[in-house]
Amino acid sequence: MKTITVTINDKVYEESVEPRMLLVDLIRERLGLTGTHVSCTYEGVCGACTIHLDGDAVKSCMMLAVQADGHKITTVEGLARDGVLTALQRSFKQEHGLQCGFCTAGILMNMTDFLSKNPNPTDAEIRHGLVGNLCRCTGYVHIVNAVRAAAKLALAERGGE
Amino acid sequence: MFPAVIDEYIRPKDIAQARGALAGYAPGDAIFIAGGQSLMQAIKSRMVRPRCVIDLQDVAELKGIERGNGLTIGAMTRYVEIAEDRDLSGGYAALRDAAQHVGDRQVRNRGTIGGSICWNYVASCMPCVVLGLGASMNLIAADGKRRQIRAEEFLLGPLETARAPEELLVSISVPKLGANSGSAYKKWGLVTDALPVVGVCVLVILDSAGKCRSARVSLAGLSAGAHRAKAAERVLQGGNGSESEIKDAFAQAAAAADTQSDKWADDSYRRQLIRTLGFEVATSAFARARGTVQGVAK
Repeated sequence: MKTITVTINDKVYEESVEPRMLLVDLIRERLGLTGTHVSCTYEGVCGACTIHLDGDAVKSCMMLAVQADGHKITTVEGLARDGVLTALQRSFKQEHGLQCGFCTAGILMNMTDFLSKNPNPTDAEIRHGLVGNLCRCTGYVHIVNAVRAAAKLALAERGGE
Repeated sequence: MFPAVIDEYIRPKDIAQARGALAGYAPGDAIFIAGGQSLMQAIKSRMVRPRCVIDLQDVAELKGIERGNGLTIGAMTRYVEIAEDRDLSGGYAALRDAAQHVGDRQVRNRGTIGGSICWNYVASCMPCVVLGLGASMNLIAADGKRRQIRAEEFLLGPLETARAPEELLVSISVPKLGANSGSAYKKWGLVTDALPVVGVCVLVILDSAGKCRSARVSLAGLSAGAHRAKAAERVLQGGNGSESEIKDAFAQAAAAADTQSDKWADDSYRRQLIRTLGFEVATSAFARARGTVQGVAK
C-alpha cells in the first residue's frame, strides 16, 4: 500500500491505495465522486472518465492512482463555483448538448480545457477537440453548438474582448 | 480490464535514481512508465505484468526539446508539446504533422514521444517519423553505460526494439536539417486521428539548384513495423520533385511493400493508400524544402 496526497476540487485527500488501483476507481469508488464516468470498461477509448490533471484534460482510467500523488485534480463536480454553473455547462443545457448524458461529464472536462487554450475556436477545431469523447446519442451537432455558444458567452461575459 | 497486483511503485527524481530503481528486479519485472497511453492498456489487459512500476514523470532531464546541432528531444516530451511547437518547421515539420493527430487531446496531453518509440506498436506514427528523419536514440543502461543507436537498428519490429529492459531511453537526436530541407507525415485510419492503417513520412534535402540531394521515406502500419521504402527514395533522389517523379516513386513503393490484408484494409487498399498518401506527403515535403508553403511558416 502507498499513501498518497491528492487535491481534488480544492479538497486535500490523503489515501492509502494499492499501486494497481486506477485513478478513476480512486475518484469514483473510494471518494464517491461519481460524476466521473466509466463507459468503455477502462479501455481508454470513450473519454467519459476525463478529468483535469494540473489543468490538462486526461483520461483517468489511463493512470494509476499513485501517479496522481502530489497533483491537483478537477472533476466535473469541481466546475461549478458556489452553485453557479460555468458558461460551458449552461450552454450544454441551453443548446441541449446531450441526450442520455453519460458522456457529458467527460466532454465538459475536455472542452473546459480546450476552451481555456483556444477561447474562440472554429467548428472544425471543436470537432477535432472532441475526437477523444464518444457520444452515441447526439451525433455531436448539439454538442458542437453548445461549445460554440459557450465560447461566445464566455467572451461576452469577459467584456467582448 | 484491471491491472494485476503491482508490488512496488517508484517515482525517481532523476536518471540516476531511475537506474537505481531497477536494482533487485529480474529484467522486465521492473518497468519504466512514461505517459502510459499504450503501456497502461497493456498493464490493464495483463499482457504486461510488472512487479514494479518506475514512473518517470518527475525526471526533468527527460523533458523538452533542445536545439543545437539538430534537435535533442527528451523521451518524456509530450505529444502536445511537439504539436504546438511552431519552430518545428521545414525538415522537422513531420514531427508536428504526426503529433497533432496522435489519438486525441487527452492522449496528446499525456502521451510521450519516447514512450511511443519504446513501445513500437505496429500502427503508430512516431516510430515511422523518427525513422524517416534519420534520428538516433540515446540510451543509458542500469550501470550508467550510454549508447546511441540509429532508428533503423532500434526499431526491430512490432512491439520490439533494441532497448534492453534495464536501459532507459533518454532522448532522441534528430540530425540538423537546414533551410533546404522539408519533411511531412500523414496517416489514414478508419476514423479521425485513428491509429494508422498506413502512414507515410518523407524527408527531402535539396541542393542549391533545387534538385533532391537526399530523400528518406518511411512507412507505418504494415506488419513489418515502421520501415524505409527505399524504392521510393531511389526515384526521388537526384530528381526535381516533379509530380510524375513523385507518382512514380510511390507506385514503386506500393509495388515493393509487403502489405497485409486485415479487418481494417485489404492488401490492394493499403497499396492505394501508399500511393495516395505518399503523393500528398512528398508534395508537402518538397514545398516545405522550397519554402513555397502558403500561409504557414515552412
